[in-house]
Amino acid sequence: MGQLSTQSRRKPGRLLAVLVISAGLIGAACGGDDTSSKTTDGTSPGSETTGPGGSDTTAAVATTAPPPTSSAEMQPVPGGKVVMGIEADTSSPWRPSEMVCAIGCYQVIRNIYDSLAMANDAGSWGPYLASALTPNDDFTQWTITARDGVTFHDGTPFDGAAIVENLKRGKEGILTGNALRPVDTIEVDPADPMSAIVSMNTSWAAFPYTLAGQVGMMASPTWLAASDTDDTLKSKPVGTGPFVYADYKADESFTMTKNPDYWNAPYPYLDSIEFRVIPDGLNRRDALKSGTVDLIHTTNGETISEFRDSTDFPMVEIANNAETSYTLLHVTQEGSPLTDVRVRCALAYASDEQLLIDTIGAGVQQIAFGPFSPTQVGYLASTGFPEAQDMAKAQELIAAYKADFPGPLNLSLATTQDQTNLTIAQQQQQWWTEAGVDNVTIDQIDQGNYIVTALLGNFQVFQWRNHGGFDLDQQYIWWHSKAAPPVGELALNFGRIRDTQLDALLDENRASADPARKKEIAEEVNRLFGTQCYDLWGSYTVWGIAGKSTVHGVNLFTLPDGTEAPFGAGIAGTFYPMTLWVEQ
Amino acid sequence: MRYVTRKLAQTVFVVVVVTFLTSIALRFLPGGTDVIVALKTGPGATPEQTAKVLEELGLNKSLLGQYVSWVRDFVTGNWGTTFRTNQSIATEVKRAMPISLYLMIYGQIFALGLAVPTAVWSAYKQNSRFDRAATTSAFAMLSMPNFIVAPILILFFSVNNKWFPYPSLYTSLFDSPIDHFRAFALPTVTIAIPLYAGYMRVLRADMIGTLQSDFITTARAKGVGTGPMLFKHALRPSLFSLVTSAAVNIGALMGGVVVVEQVFSLNGMGRLTVQSVIGREYPTVQYSVVILALIYIFINLMVDLAYAWIDPRVRASRALG
Repeated sequence: MGQLSTQSRRKPGRLLAVLVISAGLIGAACGGDDTSSKTTDGTSPGSETTGPGGSDTTAAVATTAPPPTSSAEMQPVPGGKVVMGIEADTSSPWRPSEMVCAIGCYQVIRNIYDSLAMANDAGSWGPYLASALTPNDDFTQWTITARDGVTFHDGTPFDGAAIVENLKRGKEGILTGNALRPVDTIEVDPADPMSAIVSMNTSWAAFPYTLAGQVGMMASPTWLAASDTDDTLKSKPVGTGPFVYADYKADESFTMTKNPDYWNAPYPYLDSIEFRVIPDGLNRRDALKSGTVDLIHTTNGETISEFRDSTDFPMVEIANNAETSYTLLHVTQEGSPLTDVRVRCALAYASDEQLLIDTIGAGVQQIAFGPFSPTQVGYLASTGFPEAQDMAKAQELIAAYKADFPGPLNLSLATTQDQTNLTIAQQQQQWWTEAGVDNVTIDQIDQGNYIVTALLGNFQVFQWRNHGGFDLDQQYIWWHSKAAPPVGELALNFGRIRDTQLDALLDENRASADPARKKEIAEEVNRLFGTQCYDLWGSYTVWGIAGKSTVHGVNLFTLPDGTEAPFGAGIAGTFYPMTLWVEQ
Repeated sequence: MRYVTRKLAQTVFVVVVVTFLTSIALRFLPGGTDVIVALKTGPGATPEQTAKVLEELGLNKSLLGQYVSWVRDFVTGNWGTTFRTNQSIATEVKRAMPISLYLMIYGQIFALGLAVPTAVWSAYKQNSRFDRAATTSAFAMLSMPNFIVAPILILFFSVNNKWFPYPSLYTSLFDSPIDHFRAFALPTVTIAIPLYAGYMRVLRADMIGTLQSDFITTARAKGVGTGPMLFKHALRPSLFSLVTSAAVNIGALMGGVVVVEQVFSLNGMGRLTVQSVIGREYPTVQYSVVILALIYIFINLMVDLAYAWIDPRVRASRALG
C-alpha cells in the first residue's frame, strides 16, 4: 500500500469530498492515490486548451488526446458491460444534498444524475438537463427551465417543481447550503410550471457553474420524499441520467444498467457499468492487468508512467482544470505563527516540492506555484510564490520573525494514516526544522476524522488537494471570509483566510460576466496567494484513465448547445462513461 | 449428560457476559455520546436529532435497559444503519459473513486435507526422505506470514498468468461454482499454508507417540494392514491435539482473514470490522464483534463435546466422574 515510490502524494482522507458542494464542481479535496510529479507539455499533441478568454494562459498542455487512430476511426457499438475500478466510495450516499462527494463519487453518480448545466470547452457553461438558464439584467435572478419530455427513472416528470425541490434541499443541506448562500428564494415560475425562479441577495453571474456540479444534480422528488423516512432508500438513487441504479454494495461496487429512454441519444452505448471500489492504486493497476476490471482511473505516478508506454492498456490522461495538491495552512488562528507571512513563506522556501514529485510521484505531476492548474482561468507560470527551495531565505525569514517574537516556534502538521503521506510529512518536518522551526509535530488523523478536523479548524498545517474547476467563483466558499467562522464552527474556508482584498476580488468575479475581467481577477488572486503564501503549493494532479484495448470512447461529447464538454467538466479527473463502448 | 449440561451452562454465561459488555461499550467511548451523534448526523446536530440518535442506540436508558433493548434489536435483526453509507447493518453483516465463513472453512479443509495424510505418512516413515522434506517445508511455511505469501501468489497466478482473478470478487456458490472457487482459490491457499504447517507438525508428533503404543503393536501382530492400522487405529487417538489446535485456530483465523480479505479485497467480516473500526462505525463494530464471538464460543462448545466422541476414554471418565 504506501510504497514510497509512487503512492499518494497527499490523501487527505476520502471524506474530504466536501468540496463537492463547492460552486458546483469542485472535485474533492480528496485523496486518492495521487502522486505529484511533473506533467510537461507534450503529454499529447494538439490538445492544448486555454482558459476562457482564449489566449496565453497555458504553459503546459494538460490533456492527452483520446486513444490511438484505430480507436478514433471505429464506430461505437451498442451493448456490453464495463467494470471500472475507482479509488473510493462515497459517504452519505446518494442524495445530492447530503453526499460527501469525491472524484470516485462523481465518476459514479453523474451517470445516474444529470446536472442542470455543464462546463464547456469554450471556457464557459452551457445548459444540460435544463434547456435554458436565463439571468435578469443584474444577475440577481435566474430562471431555470426544465428540458421538455424528460422523466426520472421512476417515471416522475422533470419540471419546475422538481428543480425547486432539489435546490431547496441543497440550500438546506449542512454542506451544500454553503454553496447556495447567496440564494434567497427558489420557486416555481407562476407563468411556467416547467421553470423555476431563483432569486439572490447579490449579483451572481457565475451561478450556472454551481449548477454544473453536485448542487445542480437533479434527483427524483418522489424518491427524495420516500427516502426521507426510509434510510435504506438513500443509497438507491433515482435520477434522469444515462444509467439506472441496479445495485450498490457499500465499499464494494455500484452497478447500473442502461437507461433506454435517455433523452440525450445516442447515449449510452453500454448495457451496464459496474464501478468497483479498489482504494489502493497499485491494487487497482493489478486488477486491470489481471483482467478483473476493464478500466481504471489513477493518479499513481508509477502506474501512469507504466501505462504511458503500454500498448496493452491504452491510457488517456486528464489534467485540464486539475486539482492542486498542497499543504493547507490555518492562517488566522490566534497566537499561531502562521498569522505572519514571513513564517508562511519561510515554510514555502524551505520545501523542495520538485524533489517530492520526482521521488514519490515518479516525475508525473507538474509542480505548482498557485492554486490554478494550466488551462484554469488565472493560471500563471510565475506568481511570486517560491519556485525552488531556498533554505537560506527560509532561515532568514524565520530569524526575522523570531527577532520580533522571541520564544519557541512550534508547528503541528496533520496528515492521514497513509504511509506515503506520512513520509511526505516527515520530509516537511525535516525541512522546516532546518529552516528554524523549533518543533514540528506530526499528527496522524484517521480518515473518518480528517474532514471534520478541517471543518472545525482544529489544525495548523494540513495536507490537502483541491481547487479544480473552471471559474474562480467555484473557489468562493473555500476562500471568502464569509465562509470562515471562528474555530469550532463549521467552515469550508478551512484555512480561515480573512483577506479583504481577496474578498473584494471574489465578490467582483461573482458578479462579473466579462471573461477578460474575470481572467484578470483570477490572476490577481493567484498573485495574492503567491505573495502571501496562504498555502504551500505542491503539484497539479494528473489523472490516467487506462483500460483494456477493447474498451473505447473515453471522449468528450457534444452538449445540446453545440459546444463540447471537456474532460472533468469541472470535476477534475472525471470523464463521461456514457460515451464508453466495447468491441463486441 | 452432566458434562454436556455443564458445558451448555458455561456457554450461556459467556454469551451473556460478552453481549452485555459489547452492548454498553458505546457509553465508554472517548468523547462520549457527542461523538456518536456527530458521526450519525454530521457536525451541528440539533437537540432533536441528538435525542433521536440517543433513543435509537439506547443511550438514554439504564445499563440494564440498554442491554435488554440491544438484545431485542439483535434478535429481531433491527440493527440500524451505518453512519457513513446508510446501509442496513444487518444486511452488511449478512453479506460479509458467508465470505469469511467460506474462507475459514475452505482454509481449514485445505489445510487439514493436506496435513492429515502428510503427517500420518511422515510419522509412519519417520526420518525418511519424505519425512525430512515434509518437516522442513512445514517449518519454512510457518515462517512465512500471509502478507508475504499473498503478493507472491497474486503476482504469479493473477497478474502474470491471469489464472485467478485479482482482486477476488465474491460470487455465490449457487450462482457460479466455478467463479466462486476461482475467487477463493488464492485467498484459501494463503490462509491454509501456515495452518497446514502447524497441523502437520502437531499431528505428526502425536502419531509418532501413538504408533509406539502397545495396541498398535498388537494390531500389527494380528495382521492389520498398514492403511487401516494408520487411519483407523492410530489416527483417532492422535487427534486430540489436532482438534484442539484447529479449534483454537478459529480465533486466529478470524484475525488472519482480516489481512487476507484486505489484500484480496474480499468484503468479509474481517474487512468489515476493520473498516468499521477505522471509520468509527461503532454499532457495526458491536454487531460484528458479537457475531464473531458467538461463532467462536459455539465452535469451542462443539469441540468440547466432540472430545467425548473422539476418544472413548473421555466418555468413560466422564461417566465415572
